Amino acid sequence: MQTEKEKITEILQSYPREQRYCLAIMQDMQKQYNYIPKEGMEELAEYLGCPLSSLYSMATFYKALSLKPKGKHIIKLCDGTACHIRGASNLRDGVKRILGIEDGETTEDGEFSLELVNCLGSCALAPVMVVDDVYYGKVTMERLASILNSYREEGESA
Amino acid sequence: MNITIDGKSCQCEKGEYILQIARRNGIIIPTLCHHDGFPGQGSCRLCIVEVNEGSGPKVVVSCVYPVSKECVVFTNSEKIRKQRGMILTLLQKRAPESEEIKAFCKMYGAPEIDRFVKVDNSKCILCGLCVKACTELSVGAISTINRGITKEIATPYHEPSSVCVGCGSCAYVCPTGAIAIEETDETRTIWGKTFHLVHCTSCGSVIGTEEELACAAQKAGHEPDTLCGPCRKKELAKAFRHTYGEIPAE
Amino acid sequence: MKTIRVCCGTGCLANGSRLVAEEFEKKLKELKADAQVECEVKRTGCNGFCENGPLVTIMPEEIAYYHVKPENVEEIIEKTILNGEPVEKLLYKNDQGQRVTSQSENPFYAPQKKIALRNIGKIAPCSVEDYKASGGYEALKKALAMTPEEIIAEINLSGLRGRGGAGFPTGRKWESAACYDVTPKYVACNGDEGDPGAFMDRSILEGDPHSVLEGMAICALAIGAEEGFLYIRDEYSLAVNNIKEAIRAAEAAGILGDDILGSGKKLKLQVVRGGGAFVCGESTALMASVEGRVGEPRAKYIRSVQKGLWEKPTVLNNVETLANVPYIILHGGANYASVGTEKSKGTKVFALVGKVKRTGLVEVPMGATLRHLIFDIGGGIQNDRPFKAVQTGGPSGGCIPDSMLDLPVDFDTLKEYGAMMGSGGMIVMDDRSCMVEVARYYVQFLCGESCGKCTPCREGLKQMLAILTDICEGKGKIEDLDLLEELGEMMQDASLCALGKSAPNPVLTTLKYFRNEYEAHILEHRCPAGVCTKLTSFAIDPEKCKGCTACAKACPAGAISGELKTPHHIDKTICISCGSCREACRFGAVMTEGRDA
Repeated sequence: MQTEKEKITEILQSYPREQRYCLAIMQDMQKQYNYIPKEGMEELAEYLGCPLSSLYSMATFYKALSLKPKGKHIIKLCDGTACHIRGASNLRDGVKRILGIEDGETTEDGEFSLELVNCLGSCALAPVMVVDDVYYGKVTMERLASILNSYREEGESA
Repeated sequence: MNITIDGKSCQCEKGEYILQIARRNGIIIPTLCHHDGFPGQGSCRLCIVEVNEGSGPKVVVSCVYPVSKECVVFTNSEKIRKQRGMILTLLQKRAPESEEIKAFCKMYGAPEIDRFVKVDNSKCILCGLCVKACTELSVGAISTINRGITKEIATPYHEPSSVCVGCGSCAYVCPTGAIAIEETDETRTIWGKTFHLVHCTSCGSVIGTEEELACAAQKAGHEPDTLCGPCRKKELAKAFRHTYGEIPAE
Repeated sequence: MKTIRVCCGTGCLANGSRLVAEEFEKKLKELKADAQVECEVKRTGCNGFCENGPLVTIMPEEIAYYHVKPENVEEIIEKTILNGEPVEKLLYKNDQGQRVTSQSENPFYAPQKKIALRNIGKIAPCSVEDYKASGGYEALKKALAMTPEEIIAEINLSGLRGRGGAGFPTGRKWESAACYDVTPKYVACNGDEGDPGAFMDRSILEGDPHSVLEGMAICALAIGAEEGFLYIRDEYSLAVNNIKEAIRAAEAAGILGDDILGSGKKLKLQVVRGGGAFVCGESTALMASVEGRVGEPRAKYIRSVQKGLWEKPTVLNNVETLANVPYIILHGGANYASVGTEKSKGTKVFALVGKVKRTGLVEVPMGATLRHLIFDIGGGIQNDRPFKAVQTGGPSGGCIPDSMLDLPVDFDTLKEYGAMMGSGGMIVMDDRSCMVEVARYYVQFLCGESCGKCTPCREGLKQMLAILTDICEGKGKIEDLDLLEELGEMMQDASLCALGKSAPNPVLTTLKYFRNEYEAHILEHRCPAGVCTKLTSFAIDPEKCKGCTACAKACPAGAISGELKTPHHIDKTICISCGSCREACRFGAVMTEGRDA
């Protein structure tokens, strides 16, 4: 717990104590932990001298921020228009069948989280899926399973 | 300068809001999210009016629309009546329990639309006035959370707030009575937290919660109040009498 | 000296272009030991033709290769670098089936006119030297010798209008901010490209970040600002990195920072990563977010050129707008204004995506027709299916039917028809796209993206979604259509910001141009496009089925059975009506049937 607190302090102190940096600070915490721990929120409120409620409001407003822990691998499934008309909803059903999770959920083993995102700006490759920042274009139902499996095996061998 | 509202010529300053000018001239425009104590929010949209500044009528929100040139305003045109009615109908589906919204719907002839789904079973219309009051007058214990159709108003993590002082400003400004506040002789419960009430040492009436008085005292830089407003005035009057003597009877 | 340009935009990277670039570098290193070859590998920004990536262009011959894999590298070096010959199989095949060598012969690129995208694909994105070599920062030099009035006059003369969608005249915006005698003032760049189906800003930020920085610097000179912000979607990680890198490089070169090119003028630019909210593309919401607050818009009756960031005069311009600015200053407003239509000057970048043969980013003069974009540049509809509609302008835009394909695309024309050009997303739909479902999709999108502050948008969208979902499931009533229109009109008038005011557009335009599809769903319980799962079931025509097993492989539910080379069969009790089989079938053997009510 001590190291976590130190890490939070380190993130805080890399920014001046000004309201305008609070989104950036929360994004950094998000990157560090895959979510923003409650301690982080409280420390930030104290650091900036602002009510916790205003930070909580932001953390629940912005999609880049999450207050719930996420899985080890984050699957971002693009449901932008171009992906949508090229079958993104089928992929969503596919992920649900393979991993049993819906948008915003995490598998019980903590391996995968699914996020339905709006547009990743790679529409020419629709439908697009991003796993841990690696882009996969023109994903078919056939490829979906093998892509997901590759992450699972990687986890097992590690 | 002068503007015309519903055919009546109204004197005003540049930059004044239409709602302000209308009210001063006895013209009623309905509002929910507006409170004279705070700057306009423009969130409930009930106060829409039509304004014509020469280039044809447009729908604007009177609580935040500043007058910049001479114009003609209609607060109750057919278009406004229709749209205001639709807005009220939508709010009624959001807050079916609210008597205030029901009354507004009746007053402004909001259509009954069975096709619409009920969104919630509460009284809150998410106007944001409570958040404004808490942030500006008190400690910022509540805020809007989430966004879009899942927006709500709550304390962080939906837990009793560590900073709430139980002042009840939020409940006081709420236009639909949506914030539950329970009071016994000794306690007040709000947002899931119970506070001890402090009574006036002179007359015994409630003057606030312990936390609220401490918070106010800290802001003002003196000891917490022990007297209620009227008793404090009486005390002050005594001090004046002592200094200046009795006012001689005519 | 030869240059191998390897496209390293997000699209090509997804197709594996990093490995291609590394392979080139490795092979060239080996080669240098024993042969005389002068050659450099340049990782460039997005060429816009992502579907055919990774793209590799050999200069100075301008030989353009597509779908390049690491295993092709050796052959390219052998034939093209050493012997100047093209590798036939990697060239683009045009509509007549001929292989074409250069980009200028490629039907996708040939009709384009590149101003905003002028450098992209040619230069190493963050390099100041590369940018300067192609005329970069010359405009800034020129602007430093001009008065603010002269700069603004040049922009006014160019007729440049905001590329983010609203089309407000850029010069006028700068002029208004310039006239306030207040310090500080701010310049800001809107890189929160949120319209699904649009990625022109991403491409510019990734591929030519200095053009945006130069545009901002010129704007700062014109209005008298010394500080600026670039608000960029956090999802665009490459764009965020490249812009940050470019700022560092420009500061190190004395172009930005405390002393712009020795003039004594200052400009400090900062990147703000977006929080992931579509509504932050709206100017006042964006500013709230930069200030570190929830991205809720405010009423814009007082404009942000007067009271923007921290209540100070602020000019917020879109990425593409800013990328045009250096060109205008350098070549003159009149030159820029010679391109385009009377009221919409210059070019516009479009993201041509969806069910069109050639998808990607295209830049054409304003006023090009939809038909030209979709059928000439885009090469028509995939698999030669019938065109149904093109969706322009994202969730604020509308769906345009084929009867309107000859309309010119500019700021004003499409608006008259209830759609809008918007930021330039153009999603092409064929007869297998259901317009009711598309409308429902956009409303659902906005339900999650609305900030939720004002009643018409928040509650109106919620009710619209419920009604549209019912219609898609065959539970709609014919009176619903009038109600949707009435609700939509109220939202257009009474919503707080542009998001809410334009939110009903996809619904209202589809109701206007594709009412028959709504009626089919409601009255006949039938989805003509075969998309709405509750109203559609699939069957295989045994006459047409060749037994290729493609459908069975594609079926996620395992509902299709059949032996190789014999007709297949769909088990309707297992089928989930997703339509994957229909997409997979090359023989048109999968039929849609209205589901029994």
